[in-house]
Amino acid sequence: MGEYGFSLHPYFKEMPGIGKDLPREMKQNVDEIKRVEKELADAVKKVTDAGKAAQDINSKGEMTAWQRIEYLVDSGTWCPLHTIYDPDTNEEGTTGVIDGLGKIAGKWAVIIASNNQIMAGAWIPGQADNILRVTDMAKRLHIPLVWLLNCSGVKLTEQEEVYANRRGNGTPFYRHAELEKLGIPVIVGIYGTNPAGGGYHGISPTTLIAHKDANIAVGGGGIVSGMSPKGFIDQETAENLIEATQKLNAAPPGRAEIHYLNTGFFREICETEEKVLDKIKQYMKDMPAYHPDFFRVAEPAEPKYPASDLYSLVPFNQRRVYNMKEVLARLFDNSEHMEYRPDYGPEVYCGLAKIDGYLCGIIGNNQGVLGSNYPEYTDQYQGIGGKLYRQGLIKMSEFVTFCGRDRIPIIWLQDTTGIDVGDTAEKAELLGLGMSLIYSIEQTDLPMILIVLRKGTAAAHYLLGGPNGNNNNVFTLGTPTTEIYVMHGETAAAAAYSRRLVKEKQAGKSLEPVIEKMNEMVKDYYDKSRPVYCAQKGFVDEIVRYTDLRNYCKAFVGSVYQNPTSICAFHHMITPRTIKG
Amino acid sequence: MAVVESPLAGKILEINVTVGQTVNEDDEIIILEAMKMENPIFAPSTGTVKEIKVKAGDRVNEGDVLVIIE
Repeated sequence: MGEYGFSLHPYFKEMPGIGKDLPREMKQNVDEIKRVEKELADAVKKVTDAGKAAQDINSKGEMTAWQRIEYLVDSGTWCPLHTIYDPDTNEEGTTGVIDGLGKIAGKWAVIIASNNQIMAGAWIPGQADNILRVTDMAKRLHIPLVWLLNCSGVKLTEQEEVYANRRGNGTPFYRHAELEKLGIPVIVGIYGTNPAGGGYHGISPTTLIAHKDANIAVGGGGIVSGMSPKGFIDQETAENLIEATQKLNAAPPGRAEIHYLNTGFFREICETEEKVLDKIKQYMKDMPAYHPDFFRVAEPAEPKYPASDLYSLVPFNQRRVYNMKEVLARLFDNSEHMEYRPDYGPEVYCGLAKIDGYLCGIIGNNQGVLGSNYPEYTDQYQGIGGKLYRQGLIKMSEFVTFCGRDRIPIIWLQDTTGIDVGDTAEKAELLGLGMSLIYSIEQTDLPMILIVLRKGTAAAHYLLGGPNGNNNNVFTLGTPTTEIYVMHGETAAAAAYSRRLVKEKQAGKSLEPVIEKMNEMVKDYYDKSRPVYCAQKGFVDEIVRYTDLRNYCKAFVGSVYQNPTSICAFHHMITPRTIKG
Repeated sequence: MAVVESPLAGKILEINVTVGQTVNEDDEIIILEAMKMENPIFAPSTGTVKEIKVKAGDRVNEGDVLVIIE
């Protein structure tokens, strides 16, 4: 039994079941998916192995950022994000920060660490965007942001890429201030040398906990010694630099003694690296958080069917149809749910389910045949799952609006080929209804996550809880079967080259050169929609194994219900009553 | 006896059973290509395949009989 009784238990304690046992393992499918997982694992290893070797860092008496995270985060709760995010294709293969969601001393936090193996945690291209994704998460989830800072400042050979701009490396300082304005604390553990930009990263959080050898400063040794430029470097300048650097290496500006004893900026000073992390745990223990059972609607329970079934249930062949409800059965507590309007808009699943005992709204693309009378606005063609039609778009708008009213967070599962097209579809108002869904999502002011299970295509990728909804989407996950592009490569090649084909044909020329170009385009679309590419470019925030998806869902809902900014009493909710009828 | 009909118009892509073969409920017996997607057609019940009315490459309409299971 939990700490408290459960409200509205006739609705939530026991819900109707969903799913059935896997008939048989699909060996070839499993192998294909595992092959992509291996590619992903290789890409992750490249990042974790990048830069200075861990033993070199350890031999100086320091921990690596990965080791600090491991010590800090409660076992089994770490959900890494942006591991291979590298939108600017840096030579380092990373943005130089490590982040994710995890529990510290029993409470969820968004955690980010400077990767001290990469140029002593320097600002490198793409890092600002990575940090802003992270501050956005803390804002949307309304949970603390914890920094493990160890930042040497701008990578000087690429300053034009990182220093300036609207979303440059100065922007996070404003975001930290914004989080504080919203009542969200930023806690920082400070290690090593943090000059200039690193100094502002150090001073901008709410609570500063420093290691005894750490420093934060307006400018570091290098800057202090070169503040009066002559326009060139000569022998005298070089000699002066040597002298100043030797002096400043011995005593860099902004040492712990200055900012603990003199300014008092450092709230705590710790003898060892571990003690900095212990202090963070102590502060996290006192962060505002509801007892988990306060918002639970039932005892947490694992799904009845194992997540490993997903390797057989989700076809690697993108054209192969499957049953989305069997996927959902492997995510929901006890494989139970309450479906919203199952007989209306059959291309879309909307329903309530429990994740770790918490109530959650779920929206997903059903797959396969939808029946001969659907969509209802035409008898010229039949509908198929993955596409969106009039009823499905209306149903989703209704459902997200109800969830917004009832303050129920939403998880989207996307596998879409787009919205129905043509004049019949236009007459059925699909363009307007698509935008209506975006409007409905924005009005909810709800935290949501998206899992791009397979295809994220066309504007439907935006509508279905897409990452573009910056005020709602907390993060987006991909899987080994994810592919994201505006349209399939063949469709794009046809759109781009069909007129050219006609022209060449009329001129009596060979079609081969055009066909070759079209096939190049098809391959390019394929290469630039693969899971690794999607994660590197930031189309998704992480590619996750099927068996880890539920952990991320649990981290999400647990974070949402930890300290929400608005609540709805369960007995005031309308969504479950509407479903019951 | 169970009659397996095509749920929609399309092209038969694969036939995964032969006459006389025992099938279990929910076995994928045919793959039907329609709307650019490959739709598995499942055995509605456990039994023996009595007759296969189509072959790979055939175009079928909604409601056409594909397989008879006894």
